[in-house]
Amino acid sequence: MIDTAETIYVPFGGLILAAGLLLPIIVIIIRRSLKAARDRKAGHHHRHEHDWSVPVLDACSNLDSVFHRWDPRLKIFSLLVYCFLVAALTQIIWAFCALIFSLAAVKLAKIPFRNTKRRLMAMVGFLGMFLVIMPLTVPTQPGDLLLFFQPVPVPFNVRGFLLAILIILKAFAIALIMEPLLNTAPLPVTIQALRHLRIPDMICQMILLSHRYIFVFLNEANRMYTGMRVRGFRQKTNLATLHTMGNFLGMLFVSSFERTQRVYDAMLSRGYNGTFPVYTNFSARPKDWLFGIFWILLGTGLLFLDRTGTFIIW
Amino acid sequence: MHISDGVLPISVTIGCFAATIALTAVGVRKTPAESLPKVAVVTSAFFVSSLIHVPLGPTSVHLLLPGLVGILLGPSAFISIVLGLTLQSLMFQFGGITALGANSIMMGIPALMIGWLFKQLKGSTLKGHAIAGALGGFLGTVLSVGFLAALLYTGGEDFLGVGKIAFIASLPVSIIEAIIAYFTVIFLFKVKPELLK
Repeated sequence: MIDTAETIYVPFGGLILAAGLLLPIIVIIIRRSLKAARDRKAGHHHRHEHDWSVPVLDACSNLDSVFHRWDPRLKIFSLLVYCFLVAALTQIIWAFCALIFSLAAVKLAKIPFRNTKRRLMAMVGFLGMFLVIMPLTVPTQPGDLLLFFQPVPVPFNVRGFLLAILIILKAFAIALIMEPLLNTAPLPVTIQALRHLRIPDMICQMILLSHRYIFVFLNEANRMYTGMRVRGFRQKTNLATLHTMGNFLGMLFVSSFERTQRVYDAMLSRGYNGTFPVYTNFSARPKDWLFGIFWILLGTGLLFLDRTGTFIIW
Repeated sequence: MHISDGVLPISVTIGCFAATIALTAVGVRKTPAESLPKVAVVTSAFFVSSLIHVPLGPTSVHLLLPGLVGILLGPSAFISIVLGLTLQSLMFQFGGITALGANSIMMGIPALMIGWLFKQLKGSTLKGHAIAGALGGFLGTVLSVGFLAALLYTGGEDFLGVGKIAFIASLPVSIIEAIIAYFTVIFLFKVKPELLK
Protein backbone atom coordinates (compact mmCIF):
# COMPACT_ATOMS: atom_id res chain seq x y z
CA MET A 1 0.00 0.00 0.00
CA ILE A 2 2.85 2.34 0.82
CA ASP A 3 3.90 2.24 -2.84
CA THR A 4 0.84 4.22 -3.88
CA ALA A 5 1.34 6.89 -1.24
CA GLU A 6 3.17 10.00 -2.28
CA THR A 7 6.37 10.56 -0.36
CA ILE A 8 8.28 13.79 0.10
CA TYR A 9 11.61 13.99 1.87
CA VAL A 10 12.15 17.22 3.76
CA PRO A 11 15.86 17.71 4.42
CA PHE A 12 16.59 18.84 7.98
CA GLY A 13 12.81 18.78 8.52
CA GLY A 14 13.34 16.78 11.69
CA LEU A 15 15.35 19.61 13.19
CA ILE A 16 12.74 22.19 12.21
CA LEU A 17 9.99 20.00 13.66
CA ALA A 18 11.92 19.44 16.87
CA ALA A 19 12.49 23.17 17.20
CA GLY A 20 8.79 23.81 16.59
CA LEU A 21 7.84 21.32 19.30
CA LEU A 22 10.48 22.34 21.81
CA LEU A 23 9.96 26.08 21.57
CA PRO A 24 6.47 26.14 23.16
CA ILE A 25 7.63 23.71 25.86
CA ILE A 26 10.61 25.91 26.72
CA VAL A 27 8.40 29.00 26.78
CA ILE A 28 5.96 27.26 29.15
CA ILE A 29 8.79 26.13 31.47
CA ILE A 30 10.27 29.63 31.58
CA ARG A 31 6.89 31.23 32.26
CA ARG A 32 6.20 28.71 35.05
CA SER A 33 9.52 29.25 36.75
CA LEU A 34 9.11 33.03 36.49
CA LYS A 35 5.68 32.72 38.07
CA ALA A 36 7.06 30.45 40.80
CA ALA A 37 9.81 32.96 41.53
CA ARG A 38 7.25 35.76 41.72
CA ASP A 39 5.05 33.73 44.05
CA ARG A 40 8.01 32.86 46.28
CA LYS A 41 8.83 36.52 46.55
CA ALA A 42 5.23 37.27 47.45
CA GLY A 43 5.39 34.53 50.08
CA HIS A 44 2.54 32.25 49.01
CA HIS A 45 4.32 29.52 47.12
CA HIS A 46 1.80 26.81 47.88
CA ARG A 47 -0.85 28.57 45.83
CA HIS A 48 -0.04 27.16 42.45
CA GLU A 49 0.39 23.59 43.66
CA HIS A 50 -3.39 23.33 43.59
CA ASP A 51 -5.71 25.32 41.47
CA TRP A 52 -8.93 25.21 43.40
CA SER A 53 -10.68 27.93 41.50
CA VAL A 54 -13.94 26.89 39.91
CA PRO A 55 -15.49 29.17 37.34
CA VAL A 56 -18.99 30.39 38.05
CA LEU A 57 -21.20 29.08 35.30
CA ASP A 58 -23.49 32.05 34.86
CA ALA A 59 -21.20 34.98 35.62
CA CYS A 60 -22.25 36.91 32.52
CA SER A 61 -25.98 36.30 32.84
CA ASN A 62 -26.68 39.90 33.83
CA LEU A 63 -25.49 41.35 30.52
CA ASP A 64 -27.82 42.15 27.65
CA SER A 65 -27.62 40.72 24.15
CA VAL A 66 -29.63 38.82 21.56
CA PHE A 67 -28.75 35.62 23.38
CA HIS A 68 -29.77 37.00 26.78
CA ARG A 69 -33.18 38.05 25.45
CA TRP A 70 -33.73 34.76 23.62
CA ASP A 71 -36.26 32.35 25.18
CA PRO A 72 -34.02 29.88 27.09
CA ARG A 73 -36.03 26.86 25.93
CA LEU A 74 -35.54 27.67 22.26
CA LYS A 75 -31.97 28.74 22.91
CA ILE A 76 -31.01 25.44 24.51
CA PHE A 77 -32.83 23.30 22.00
CA SER A 78 -31.66 24.97 18.82
CA LEU A 79 -28.06 25.48 19.95
CA LEU A 80 -27.81 21.84 21.03
CA VAL A 81 -29.14 20.67 17.68
CA TYR A 82 -26.62 22.97 16.05
CA CYS A 83 -23.81 21.42 18.14
CA PHE A 84 -24.70 17.92 16.99
CA LEU A 85 -24.86 19.05 13.36
CA VAL A 86 -21.40 20.59 13.71
CA ALA A 87 -20.10 17.41 15.35
CA ALA A 88 -21.16 15.50 12.24
CA LEU A 89 -19.03 17.60 9.85
CA THR A 90 -16.24 15.81 7.99
CA GLN A 91 -14.47 18.52 6.00
CA ILE A 92 -12.04 21.07 7.34
CA ILE A 93 -13.44 23.99 5.37
CA TRP A 94 -16.94 23.64 6.86
CA ALA A 95 -15.61 22.96 10.34
CA PHE A 96 -13.63 26.16 9.97
CA CYS A 97 -16.82 28.02 8.96
CA ALA A 98 -18.53 26.61 12.05
CA LEU A 99 -15.70 27.96 14.19
CA ILE A 100 -16.17 31.42 12.64
CA PHE A 101 -19.92 31.28 13.38
CA SER A 102 -19.15 30.28 16.97
CA LEU A 103 -16.75 33.17 17.39
CA ALA A 104 -19.41 35.50 16.02
CA ALA A 105 -21.95 34.10 18.47
CA VAL A 106 -19.58 34.61 21.41
CA LYS A 107 -18.95 38.17 20.27
CA LEU A 108 -22.68 38.77 19.84
CA ALA A 109 -23.38 37.43 23.35
CA LYS A 110 -20.76 39.83 24.77
CA ILE A 111 -18.91 37.09 26.61
CA PRO A 112 -15.45 38.26 27.71
CA PHE A 113 -12.43 36.60 26.09
CA ARG A 114 -11.28 35.27 29.50
CA ASN A 115 -14.21 32.82 29.67
CA THR A 116 -13.75 31.48 26.18
CA LYS A 117 -10.01 31.13 26.64
CA ARG A 118 -10.58 29.04 29.76
CA ARG A 119 -12.80 26.63 27.84
CA LEU A 120 -10.35 26.27 24.99
CA MET A 121 -7.37 25.76 27.32
CA ALA A 122 -9.19 22.91 29.07
CA MET A 123 -9.16 20.91 25.86
CA VAL A 124 -5.55 21.57 24.87
CA GLY A 125 -4.18 18.41 26.51
CA PHE A 126 -6.62 15.98 24.92
CA LEU A 127 -6.58 17.61 21.50
CA GLY A 128 -2.81 18.15 21.57
CA MET A 129 -2.46 14.40 21.95
CA PHE A 130 -4.34 13.94 18.66
CA LEU A 131 -2.23 16.54 16.90
CA VAL A 132 1.02 14.89 17.92
CA ILE A 133 0.05 11.23 17.71
CA MET A 134 -2.27 10.98 14.73
CA PRO A 135 0.15 12.08 11.97
CA LEU A 136 2.58 9.44 13.20
CA THR A 137 0.18 6.55 13.78
CA VAL A 138 -2.54 6.59 11.11
CA PRO A 139 -2.16 3.63 8.77
CA THR A 140 -0.98 4.64 5.31
CA GLN A 141 -3.66 4.52 2.64
CA PRO A 142 -3.36 4.90 -1.12
CA GLY A 143 -3.13 8.55 -2.06
CA ASP A 144 -1.73 9.64 1.30
CA LEU A 145 0.97 12.25 1.38
CA LEU A 146 3.86 11.14 3.57
CA LEU A 147 6.49 13.59 4.72
CA PHE A 148 9.84 12.33 5.94
CA PHE A 149 11.36 14.99 8.12
CA GLN A 150 14.95 13.82 7.85
CA PRO A 151 16.56 12.37 9.88
CA VAL A 152 13.36 11.19 11.66
CA PRO A 153 12.65 7.67 10.31
CA VAL A 154 8.88 7.76 11.00
CA PRO A 155 6.73 9.17 8.19
CA PHE A 156 4.55 12.16 9.00
CA ASN A 157 1.16 11.40 7.43
CA VAL A 158 -0.51 14.59 6.25
CA ARG A 159 -3.93 12.88 6.24
CA GLY A 160 -3.54 12.14 9.97
CA PHE A 161 -2.51 15.71 10.60
CA LEU A 162 -5.55 17.10 8.74
CA LEU A 163 -7.81 14.67 10.61
CA ALA A 164 -6.48 16.03 13.89
CA ILE A 165 -7.01 19.61 12.67
CA LEU A 166 -10.62 18.76 11.72
CA ILE A 167 -11.25 17.38 15.21
CA ILE A 168 -9.72 20.44 16.84
CA LEU A 169 -11.79 22.84 14.72
CA LYS A 170 -15.03 21.02 15.55
CA ALA A 171 -14.18 20.75 19.25
CA PHE A 172 -13.40 24.47 19.44
CA ALA A 173 -16.50 25.44 17.46
CA ILE A 174 -18.79 23.49 19.81
CA ALA A 175 -16.96 24.52 22.99
CA LEU A 176 -17.34 28.18 22.06
CA ILE A 177 -21.09 27.78 21.57
CA MET A 178 -21.31 26.65 25.22
CA GLU A 179 -20.71 30.21 26.38
CA PRO A 180 -23.71 31.82 24.62
CA LEU A 181 -25.69 28.70 25.58
CA LEU A 182 -25.02 28.69 29.33
CA ASN A 183 -23.61 32.02 30.27
CA THR A 184 -26.51 34.16 29.07
CA ALA A 185 -29.10 33.18 31.70
CA PRO A 186 -28.89 32.46 35.45
CA LEU A 187 -28.38 28.74 36.08
CA PRO A 188 -31.80 28.19 37.75
CA VAL A 189 -33.47 29.65 34.65
CA THR A 190 -31.44 27.38 32.37
CA ILE A 191 -32.39 24.39 34.53
CA GLN A 192 -36.02 25.46 34.46
CA ALA A 193 -35.86 25.56 30.68
CA LEU A 194 -34.36 22.05 30.68
CA ARG A 195 -37.35 20.89 32.69
CA HIS A 196 -39.66 22.34 30.03
CA LEU A 197 -37.69 20.32 27.51
CA ARG A 198 -38.74 17.10 29.29
CA ILE A 199 -35.53 16.48 31.21
CA PRO A 200 -36.71 14.58 34.33
CA ASP A 201 -37.38 16.77 37.32
CA MET A 202 -35.05 14.73 39.48
CA ILE A 203 -32.06 15.27 37.21
CA CYS A 204 -32.70 19.02 37.17
CA GLN A 205 -32.88 19.14 40.98
CA MET A 206 -29.67 17.19 41.26
CA ILE A 207 -27.77 19.43 38.85
CA LEU A 208 -28.79 22.40 40.97
CA LEU A 209 -27.95 20.68 44.26
CA SER A 210 -24.61 19.32 43.05
CA HIS A 211 -23.66 22.66 41.57
CA ARG A 212 -24.36 24.24 44.94
CA TYR A 213 -22.41 21.61 46.87
CA ILE A 214 -19.36 21.82 44.64
CA PHE A 215 -18.53 25.24 46.02
CA VAL A 216 -19.20 24.12 49.59
CA PHE A 217 -16.89 21.13 49.31
CA LEU A 218 -14.29 23.07 47.47
CA ASN A 219 -14.17 25.37 50.44
CA GLU A 220 -14.02 22.40 52.77
CA ALA A 221 -11.25 20.71 50.77
CA ASN A 222 -9.30 23.95 50.65
CA ARG A 223 -9.59 24.37 54.41
CA MET A 224 -8.49 20.79 55.06
CA TYR A 225 -5.60 21.14 52.68
CA THR A 226 -4.42 24.35 54.32
CA GLY A 227 -4.50 22.50 57.65
CA MET A 228 -2.39 19.71 56.18
CA ARG A 229 0.13 22.20 54.82
CA VAL A 230 0.37 23.94 58.17
CA ARG A 231 1.12 20.60 59.80
CA GLY A 232 4.01 20.11 57.41
CA PHE A 233 2.48 18.03 54.58
CA ARG A 234 4.28 18.38 51.26
CA GLN A 235 3.30 16.45 48.14
CA LYS A 236 5.96 14.06 46.86
CA THR A 237 5.93 10.97 44.68
CA ASN A 238 5.85 8.43 47.49
CA LEU A 239 3.53 6.12 49.37
CA ALA A 240 3.17 8.47 52.33
CA THR A 241 1.71 11.17 50.07
CA LEU A 242 -0.77 8.71 48.59
CA HIS A 243 -1.70 7.50 52.08
CA THR A 244 -2.40 11.05 53.18
CA MET A 245 -4.34 11.83 50.00
CA GLY A 246 -6.41 8.67 50.51
CA ASN A 247 -7.32 9.76 54.02
CA PHE A 248 -7.99 13.27 52.75
CA LEU A 249 -10.48 11.92 50.20
CA GLY A 250 -12.09 9.68 52.80
CA MET A 251 -12.49 12.61 55.16
CA LEU A 252 -13.95 14.72 52.36
CA PHE A 253 -16.56 12.02 51.68
CA VAL A 254 -17.40 11.54 55.37
CA SER A 255 -17.79 15.22 56.13
CA SER A 256 -19.83 15.78 52.97
CA PHE A 257 -22.20 12.93 53.82
CA GLU A 258 -22.81 14.25 57.29
CA ARG A 259 -23.30 17.71 55.97
CA THR A 260 -25.90 16.65 53.40
CA GLN A 261 -27.82 14.70 55.96
CA ARG A 262 -28.10 17.85 58.09
CA VAL A 263 -28.98 20.03 55.11
CA TYR A 264 -31.53 17.53 53.81
CA ASP A 265 -33.22 17.32 57.23
CA ALA A 266 -33.30 21.10 57.35
CA MET A 267 -34.82 21.21 53.86
CA LEU A 268 -37.47 18.67 54.82
CA SER A 269 -38.40 20.57 57.95
CA ARG A 270 -38.87 23.70 55.84
CA GLY A 271 -41.32 21.91 53.59
CA TYR A 272 -39.14 20.56 50.77
CA ASN A 273 -41.21 18.02 48.86
CA GLY A 274 -38.83 17.14 46.04
CA THR A 275 -39.35 20.24 43.95
CA PHE A 276 -38.32 23.84 44.22
CA PRO A 277 -41.01 26.45 43.71
CA VAL A 278 -40.69 28.18 40.37
CA TYR A 279 -41.50 31.76 39.52
CA THR A 280 -40.12 31.88 36.00
CA ASN A 281 -42.55 32.06 33.13
CA PHE A 282 -41.25 31.63 29.64
CA SER A 283 -42.82 33.19 26.62
CA ALA A 284 -41.54 32.59 23.13
CA ARG A 285 -41.97 35.46 20.70
CA PRO A 286 -41.89 34.96 16.93
CA LYS A 287 -38.41 36.48 16.96
CA ASP A 288 -37.23 33.71 19.28
CA TRP A 289 -38.57 31.04 16.97
CA LEU A 290 -36.92 32.71 13.99
CA PHE A 291 -33.55 32.86 15.72
CA GLY A 292 -33.86 29.20 16.67
CA ILE A 293 -34.77 28.20 13.12
CA PHE A 294 -31.84 30.29 11.89
CA TRP A 295 -29.32 28.28 13.94
CA ILE A 296 -30.77 24.94 12.96
CA LEU A 297 -30.80 25.94 9.30
CA LEU A 298 -27.22 27.16 9.63
CA GLY A 299 -26.13 23.79 11.01
CA THR A 300 -28.15 21.87 8.43
CA GLY A 301 -26.69 24.01 5.67
CA LEU A 302 -23.14 23.33 6.85
CA LEU A 303 -23.85 19.61 7.01
CA PHE A 304 -25.47 19.65 3.56
CA LEU A 305 -22.48 21.42 2.02
CA ASP A 306 -20.19 19.07 3.92
CA ARG A 307 -21.78 15.98 2.43
CA THR A 308 -22.39 17.30 -1.09
CA GLY A 309 -19.75 19.99 -1.52
CA THR A 310 -16.70 19.51 -3.69
CA PHE A 311 -14.17 21.17 -1.41
CA ILE A 312 -12.60 17.87 -0.44
CA ILE A 313 -9.23 18.67 0.99
CA TRP A 314 -7.76 15.19 1.10
CA MET B 1 -9.11 11.98 30.06
CA HIS B 2 -12.46 13.01 28.64
CA ILE B 3 -13.49 12.76 25.02
CA SER B 4 -14.11 16.18 23.54
CA ASP B 5 -16.57 17.22 20.85
CA GLY B 6 -16.10 16.21 17.27
CA VAL B 7 -13.91 13.15 17.83
CA LEU B 8 -16.32 10.25 17.57
CA PRO B 9 -18.45 9.42 14.54
CA ILE B 10 -21.91 10.94 14.83
CA SER B 11 -23.65 7.54 14.91
CA VAL B 12 -21.56 6.44 17.90
CA THR B 13 -22.15 9.80 19.60
CA ILE B 14 -25.90 9.44 19.31
CA GLY B 15 -25.88 5.75 20.16
CA CYS B 16 -23.97 6.44 23.37
CA PHE B 17 -26.48 9.16 24.24
CA ALA B 18 -29.35 6.73 23.83
CA ALA B 19 -27.59 4.14 26.01
CA THR B 20 -26.84 6.79 28.62
CA ILE B 21 -30.47 7.90 28.75
CA ALA B 22 -31.60 4.30 29.17
CA LEU B 23 -29.07 3.56 31.93
CA THR B 24 -29.91 6.82 33.69
CA ALA B 25 -33.59 5.95 33.63
CA VAL B 26 -32.80 2.57 35.20
CA GLY B 27 -30.58 4.28 37.76
CA VAL B 28 -33.28 6.78 38.66
CA ARG B 29 -35.73 3.95 39.26
CA LYS B 30 -33.24 2.13 41.48
CA THR B 31 -32.52 5.22 43.55
CA PRO B 32 -35.06 5.97 46.28
CA ALA B 33 -36.05 9.63 46.62
CA GLU B 34 -34.47 10.03 50.05
CA SER B 35 -31.04 9.06 48.79
CA LEU B 36 -31.04 11.66 46.02
CA PRO B 37 -29.25 14.27 48.11
CA LYS B 38 -26.66 11.60 48.90
CA VAL B 39 -26.10 11.03 45.21
CA ALA B 40 -25.81 14.78 44.69
CA VAL B 41 -23.20 14.93 47.42
CA VAL B 42 -21.07 12.09 46.11
CA THR B 43 -21.31 13.76 42.72
CA SER B 44 -19.94 17.03 44.03
CA ALA B 45 -17.33 15.28 46.16
CA PHE B 46 -16.33 13.27 43.08
CA PHE B 47 -16.19 16.48 41.07
CA VAL B 48 -13.99 18.18 43.68
CA SER B 49 -11.77 15.11 44.03
CA SER B 50 -11.13 15.11 40.33
CA LEU B 51 -9.58 18.55 40.75
CA ILE B 52 -7.02 17.07 43.13
CA HIS B 53 -3.68 16.52 41.51
CA VAL B 54 -1.29 13.87 42.74
CA PRO B 55 2.40 14.27 41.97
CA LEU B 56 3.92 11.69 39.67
CA GLY B 57 7.61 12.27 39.12
CA PRO B 58 8.11 15.56 37.30
CA THR B 59 4.43 15.99 36.46
CA SER B 60 1.13 15.47 38.24
CA VAL B 61 -2.00 13.58 37.37
CA HIS B 62 -5.57 14.17 38.42
CA LEU B 63 -7.76 11.44 39.78
CA LEU B 64 -10.68 9.94 37.83
CA LEU B 65 -12.22 7.91 40.66
CA PRO B 66 -14.85 5.89 38.78
CA GLY B 67 -13.98 2.97 41.08
CA LEU B 68 -14.64 4.89 44.29
CA VAL B 69 -17.93 6.26 42.99
CA GLY B 70 -19.03 2.71 42.23
CA ILE B 71 -17.93 1.53 45.66
CA LEU B 72 -19.83 4.30 47.43
CA LEU B 73 -23.03 4.36 45.38
CA GLY B 74 -23.48 0.89 43.90
CA PRO B 75 -26.41 0.89 41.45
CA SER B 76 -26.84 4.68 41.69
CA ALA B 77 -23.26 5.26 40.54
CA PHE B 78 -24.24 5.79 36.92
CA ILE B 79 -26.45 8.80 37.66
CA SER B 80 -23.72 10.31 39.76
CA ILE B 81 -21.18 9.90 36.96
CA VAL B 82 -23.59 11.40 34.40
CA LEU B 83 -24.24 14.40 36.65
CA GLY B 84 -20.58 14.87 37.49
CA LEU B 85 -19.60 14.74 33.84
CA THR B 86 -22.40 17.11 32.87
CA LEU B 87 -21.15 19.65 35.38
CA GLN B 88 -17.52 19.14 34.38
CA SER B 89 -18.47 19.61 30.77
CA LEU B 90 -20.57 22.70 31.41
CA MET B 91 -18.14 24.37 33.78
CA PHE B 92 -14.71 23.35 32.57
CA GLN B 93 -15.20 21.98 29.09
CA PHE B 94 -13.74 18.67 30.32
CA GLY B 95 -15.42 16.51 27.72
CA GLY B 96 -17.72 18.07 25.17
CA ILE B 97 -21.49 18.33 25.42
CA THR B 98 -22.05 16.16 22.35
CA ALA B 99 -19.61 13.60 23.77
CA LEU B 100 -21.42 13.52 27.10
CA GLY B 101 -23.09 10.21 26.24
CA ALA B 102 -19.80 8.59 25.27
CA ASN B 103 -18.03 9.90 28.38
CA SER B 104 -20.87 8.67 30.60
CA ILE B 105 -20.65 5.19 29.10
CA MET B 106 -16.90 5.21 29.37
CA MET B 107 -16.86 6.02 33.10
CA GLY B 108 -20.33 5.00 34.24
CA ILE B 109 -20.33 1.37 33.17
CA PRO B 110 -16.98 0.68 34.87
CA ALA B 111 -18.38 2.39 38.00
CA LEU B 112 -21.41 0.08 37.94
CA MET B 113 -19.20 -2.94 37.41
CA ILE B 114 -16.87 -1.97 40.25
CA GLY B 115 -19.83 -1.34 42.53
CA TRP B 116 -21.04 -4.88 41.90
CA LEU B 117 -17.56 -6.40 42.17
CA PHE B 118 -16.82 -4.61 45.43
CA LYS B 119 -20.00 -5.96 46.95
CA GLN B 120 -19.02 -9.51 45.98
CA LEU B 121 -15.43 -9.30 47.18
CA LYS B 122 -15.41 -7.09 50.26
CA GLY B 123 -16.40 -9.70 52.86
CA SER B 124 -16.59 -8.34 56.37
CA THR B 125 -12.97 -7.77 57.33
CA LEU B 126 -10.84 -4.67 56.96
CA LYS B 127 -8.39 -6.63 54.82
CA GLY B 128 -11.13 -7.80 52.46
CA HIS B 129 -12.49 -4.29 52.07
CA ALA B 130 -9.04 -2.82 51.49
CA ILE B 131 -8.09 -5.35 48.82
CA ALA B 132 -11.47 -5.06 47.09
CA GLY B 133 -11.09 -1.28 47.22
CA ALA B 134 -7.62 -1.34 45.66
CA LEU B 135 -8.82 -3.71 42.96
CA GLY B 136 -11.82 -1.46 42.35
CA GLY B 137 -9.64 1.64 42.06
CA PHE B 138 -7.31 -0.11 39.63
CA LEU B 139 -9.94 -1.82 37.48
CA GLY B 140 -12.21 1.25 37.45
CA THR B 141 -9.54 3.28 35.72
CA VAL B 142 -8.29 0.48 33.47
CA LEU B 143 -11.81 -0.30 32.31
CA SER B 144 -12.57 3.38 31.69
CA VAL B 145 -9.53 3.83 29.51
CA GLY B 146 -10.32 0.52 27.83
CA PHE B 147 -13.74 1.92 26.94
CA LEU B 148 -12.06 5.13 25.76
CA ALA B 149 -9.78 3.19 23.43
CA ALA B 150 -12.69 1.10 22.15
CA LEU B 151 -14.82 4.20 21.51
CA LEU B 152 -11.98 5.90 19.69
CA TYR B 153 -11.55 2.78 17.59
CA THR B 154 -15.14 3.14 16.35
CA GLY B 155 -13.82 6.17 14.45
CA GLY B 156 -11.80 3.81 12.28
CA GLU B 157 -8.32 2.36 12.20
CA ASP B 158 -6.89 5.88 12.13
CA PHE B 159 -7.67 6.26 15.82
CA LEU B 160 -6.06 3.01 16.94
CA GLY B 161 -2.70 4.65 17.63
CA VAL B 162 -4.20 7.34 19.86
CA GLY B 163 -6.24 4.74 21.74
CA LYS B 164 -3.21 2.53 22.37
CA ILE B 165 -1.07 5.39 23.60
CA ALA B 166 -3.82 6.71 25.88
CA PHE B 167 -4.18 3.22 27.34
CA ILE B 168 -0.46 2.82 28.03
CA ALA B 169 -0.14 6.36 29.41
CA SER B 170 -2.95 5.71 31.86
CA LEU B 171 -1.39 2.65 33.50
CA PRO B 172 0.61 4.67 36.07
CA VAL B 173 -2.61 6.56 36.89
CA SER B 174 -4.41 3.25 37.45
CA ILE B 175 -1.78 2.22 39.99
CA ILE B 176 -2.08 5.53 41.81
CA GLU B 177 -5.87 5.18 41.81
CA ALA B 178 -5.52 1.68 43.25
CA ILE B 179 -3.32 2.89 46.11
CA ILE B 180 -5.55 5.87 46.86
CA ALA B 181 -8.71 3.74 46.78
CA TYR B 182 -6.98 1.26 49.12
CA PHE B 183 -6.27 3.95 51.71
CA THR B 184 -9.62 5.69 51.26
CA VAL B 185 -11.53 2.44 51.81
CA ILE B 186 -9.46 1.64 54.91
CA PHE B 187 -10.19 5.12 56.24
CA LEU B 188 -13.92 4.84 55.56
CA PHE B 189 -14.05 1.33 57.06
CA LYS B 190 -12.59 2.67 60.30
CA VAL B 191 -14.43 5.98 60.44
CA LYS B 192 -17.85 5.47 58.83
CA PRO B 193 -18.32 1.85 57.72
CA GLU B 194 -21.99 2.36 56.85
CA LEU B 195 -20.88 4.28 53.74
CA LEU B 196 -19.42 1.07 52.33
CA LYS B 197 -22.57 -1.02 52.67
